[in-house]
Amino acid sequence: MSKTTWKRLVALCVLASLLAFSLSCASLSQSGDYFGKNQPPAKNIFRYVTGDEPQSLDPPISLGQPEARIYMALYDGLVEYNPKDLSPMPSLAERWDINNDSSEFTFHLRQNGRFSNGDPIDANDFVYTFRRAVSPELASGNAYLAYYIKYAQQYNEKKVFVRDPATNQFLLAKDFGDDTPEPLSSQPVAETNEYSPTQAEPKPDADSEFHHLMHSPQRLTLPGSEKARNKLLDSNAQLKAAVAGKELVSIKGEDIGIEAVDKYVVRISLAQPGPFFLGLLAHQLFRLVHRKTVETYGEQWTDPKHIVTCGPFKLKTWEPYNKLVVERDPMFWDAATVKLDEIHFYPMADNPSIMNLYKVGDIDAVLNHTVPNAWLDVVRNKKDYMDGKEAGIDYLQINVTQPPMNDVRVRKAFNYAIDKNAWATFKQIVKPLTAFTPEGIFPDYPQPKGDEFNPERARQLLGEAGFPVTKNADGSFSCPKFPVKDLEYIYNTQESNKTMAEWMQAQWKQNLGITIGLRNMESKTFLAVRTKLDYKGFSRGGWSADYMDPFTFLSLFYTGGDSGTGWQDPNYIKMLDVANRTLDQKKRYELLAQAEKYLIDAQPVIPIDTPSVNWVKKPYVKGMYPNPGTLFPWKFVYIERDQAKWDSGTPSLQQQTQVAER
Amino acid sequence: MLRFIIKRLLVTIPTILVVITITWGLIRLAPGNFYSGEKRLPPAIEKNIREKYGLDKPWYQQYGKTMWGIIRHLDFGTSLKYQGKSVNTIIATSLPVSAGVGILAYLLALLVGIPIGSFAALKQNTRWDYSSMALTMLGISLPNFVLGPILVLFFSLTLYWLPPSRWNGFFSLNIILPVLTLSAVYMSYIARLTRAGMLEVLRSDYIRTARAKGLSEKDVVVRHALRGGLMPVISYTGPALAFLLTGTVVVEKIFALPGLGNYFIQASLNRDEPLVIGIVAFIAITLLLANLLVDIAYAFLDPRVRYQ
Repeated sequence: MSKTTWKRLVALCVLASLLAFSLSCASLSQSGDYFGKNQPPAKNIFRYVTGDEPQSLDPPISLGQPEARIYMALYDGLVEYNPKDLSPMPSLAERWDINNDSSEFTFHLRQNGRFSNGDPIDANDFVYTFRRAVSPELASGNAYLAYYIKYAQQYNEKKVFVRDPATNQFLLAKDFGDDTPEPLSSQPVAETNEYSPTQAEPKPDADSEFHHLMHSPQRLTLPGSEKARNKLLDSNAQLKAAVAGKELVSIKGEDIGIEAVDKYVVRISLAQPGPFFLGLLAHQLFRLVHRKTVETYGEQWTDPKHIVTCGPFKLKTWEPYNKLVVERDPMFWDAATVKLDEIHFYPMADNPSIMNLYKVGDIDAVLNHTVPNAWLDVVRNKKDYMDGKEAGIDYLQINVTQPPMNDVRVRKAFNYAIDKNAWATFKQIVKPLTAFTPEGIFPDYPQPKGDEFNPERARQLLGEAGFPVTKNADGSFSCPKFPVKDLEYIYNTQESNKTMAEWMQAQWKQNLGITIGLRNMESKTFLAVRTKLDYKGFSRGGWSADYMDPFTFLSLFYTGGDSGTGWQDPNYIKMLDVANRTLDQKKRYELLAQAEKYLIDAQPVIPIDTPSVNWVKKPYVKGMYPNPGTLFPWKFVYIERDQAKWDSGTPSLQQQTQVAER
Repeated sequence: MLRFIIKRLLVTIPTILVVITITWGLIRLAPGNFYSGEKRLPPAIEKNIREKYGLDKPWYQQYGKTMWGIIRHLDFGTSLKYQGKSVNTIIATSLPVSAGVGILAYLLALLVGIPIGSFAALKQNTRWDYSSMALTMLGISLPNFVLGPILVLFFSLTLYWLPPSRWNGFFSLNIILPVLTLSAVYMSYIARLTRAGMLEVLRSDYIRTARAKGLSEKDVVVRHALRGGLMPVISYTGPALAFLLTGTVVVEKIFALPGLGNYFIQASLNRDEPLVIGIVAFIAITLLLANLLVDIAYAFLDPRVRYQ
């Protein structure tokens, strides 16, 4: 190519990039109060991006939030999330009674509940739904949320009861060293006056045979697989002798603690007191499915041809990776409240694409964390930006099984060396976090405080651990003895994770003179490496609440090990157990807070921040609130055509304003 | 000719089986599972899932089951991630979108690229030649993940003329930007290939003969030169079309199109084994068939090529 052509080419490139740059500036720095167009849709149709393509329309199958929001349109539960704070409010259950230690719940169903095909909803539908949700054959990844229900965990784990054929009696757990105190739900019915009588219901408790069965001491359960069982028996001679010659009875769905007391009363018995259990019941795992459809079509029951639902909306069309359309269901018990004719869910995952679609007015609202960090400066100041607390935390996990991170002083030093306030200032929309539960989400929870930024103390601790930090002539630090080559910081490839990793790396370098190497990985690879503890040092961590109770965070180190630190402590588990058995809510919170303090003192994690929700909705969308979980009971959402009533700013989450807005 | 085609088709089958086997092995080597998530599942639940999907069986049984389904019924099984959806259905519903957009983009590329290329060749070493070749150079070097957003920025976000993304069927405004984005590279490449091919042909003896016969310049170019000059474009068409038919990941992602490429990338990120195998096999078949078609097209266009 000749010289002039090259010149022209260069000139052309420069011109093109200038054009692109000026365009992008122009489009971002628009002076309007809102981000993009504000034209309400012509029809009464709400258009929303809920995230990537839904995995399935079968509520217990998908674990994610994108699906949770779709399920909230299609399926109803005993309770529904309150649109402002996600506390449980009556839905298919009109009211309920809870016994004195929150181990038994009696739900009174409304009698006008119907499926989308017109079938009436009664107590047996819930019994079926719950049994199905925890059945090992369904293999729901969320089944652990139902483990609080009596024998549900054992059923899900395919365990067996042991029966003496001579007496027909089952062996009991308490005879074999299980000294957990039995909840009221396991004590004989007659002996306790376990419900506080209310005016409406002096005796809420209809009796039944199953009820007495539940109210008997916890039975002994053994692993269902022969190999695991023999291993257990070989290690416990007393047990082996007792089990010899006895009959093994597999645990069935019928054994778990849920019962249709009569046509419209469901009773759930827990294996332990569960003060948080009610809040859990709005979760997708517990949303009602239609037995006949499921049993007729198997896995194909969610096909648009067959599906039967029970929520405010029913499925109209489903084009994978394009759109999922739900329409108002006239069969819904509260159809009068439902204001939208249709909701169109668009499965999309690319944030700038979603924001563009929002800007031109092709969608009316977007999911949480869609506003890219680089756009925050502009979008945050618009009146359609939704700001609010989020029930989630960001933290670093430490592999505590490998030196030098097995030394708590070293772990603490790395925590002390991070200036989280500066991080929060830099990120703009997060709050610094020193503990392991999000700040300000659980109103009366006395959240403990962890260690604040203190580089002096950090260097001192490292010195005590045998890695003295020396100050160089130019004011920087170095820590020559520290085995920095052995350590790394791993994260899954994503811009925000990279930013965070680089920030932490810089903090440690500045305050400790230690430069930890960074390694990014594809998401599933990262999860596998972290779970197997195939890394040394630090890994990115984050968690958002399954239900609105601190336990949803604290339990990350409770069941079956955690997600990737190797830290396990029987004391901690015991503290949580004691707390959850405490009836007084205030006392329980105090005990949970003590356990949290214990956890952060051991420092298997470095808490970093509490994120905030950040998404946008058009001002004409009403009834949609920036609640901590970004979950919306769709029946309250509507499109306001009167411009005077539009939102200008984040709508208030205060409960004084009418919730239902009827 | 027929023998040649049959022979090529027969070679295709073992090739596909090898491709499937390698894919099967590779996806197993990749760390993580389709069910792994941010919170580690309790071991009992993980066990339930593995039993449900037969992952607890020995590897040769799993391999045998996969292969048997494919060989016997051409059935690639059901997706692990998208429960209850058969791989065959997913391919059948997403292919038309990818293929449609791809074909439209390629047609546009031919329609614009060939005239530009021929024009540049006829006006060789003039400013027309230089500027059109500079433009095509830009088209080739500008990746579609840059071009796409620039077009969106201009036509959607600034002028509000065209929708920035999403699929709305072939007869909607939504299709314009993806097709434009996708065709830019091909358009430029075709223009350059046409130019090169034409330049070679225009200097050859038979063109000189045609001119000497006193044919009009139009006849010389369109009837004689173009036919030979397009040979490089034809050989490029095979792989390009196979690639376009089976989806172009980037463009489908930018414009949120429900195409095969979108599924493919998600399936591999999700470790959705049956879906990955199904799509890889499908792409392999398309590629092999497209190459075969190109070979056949050669025979028709160039009298010198004959297959034994």
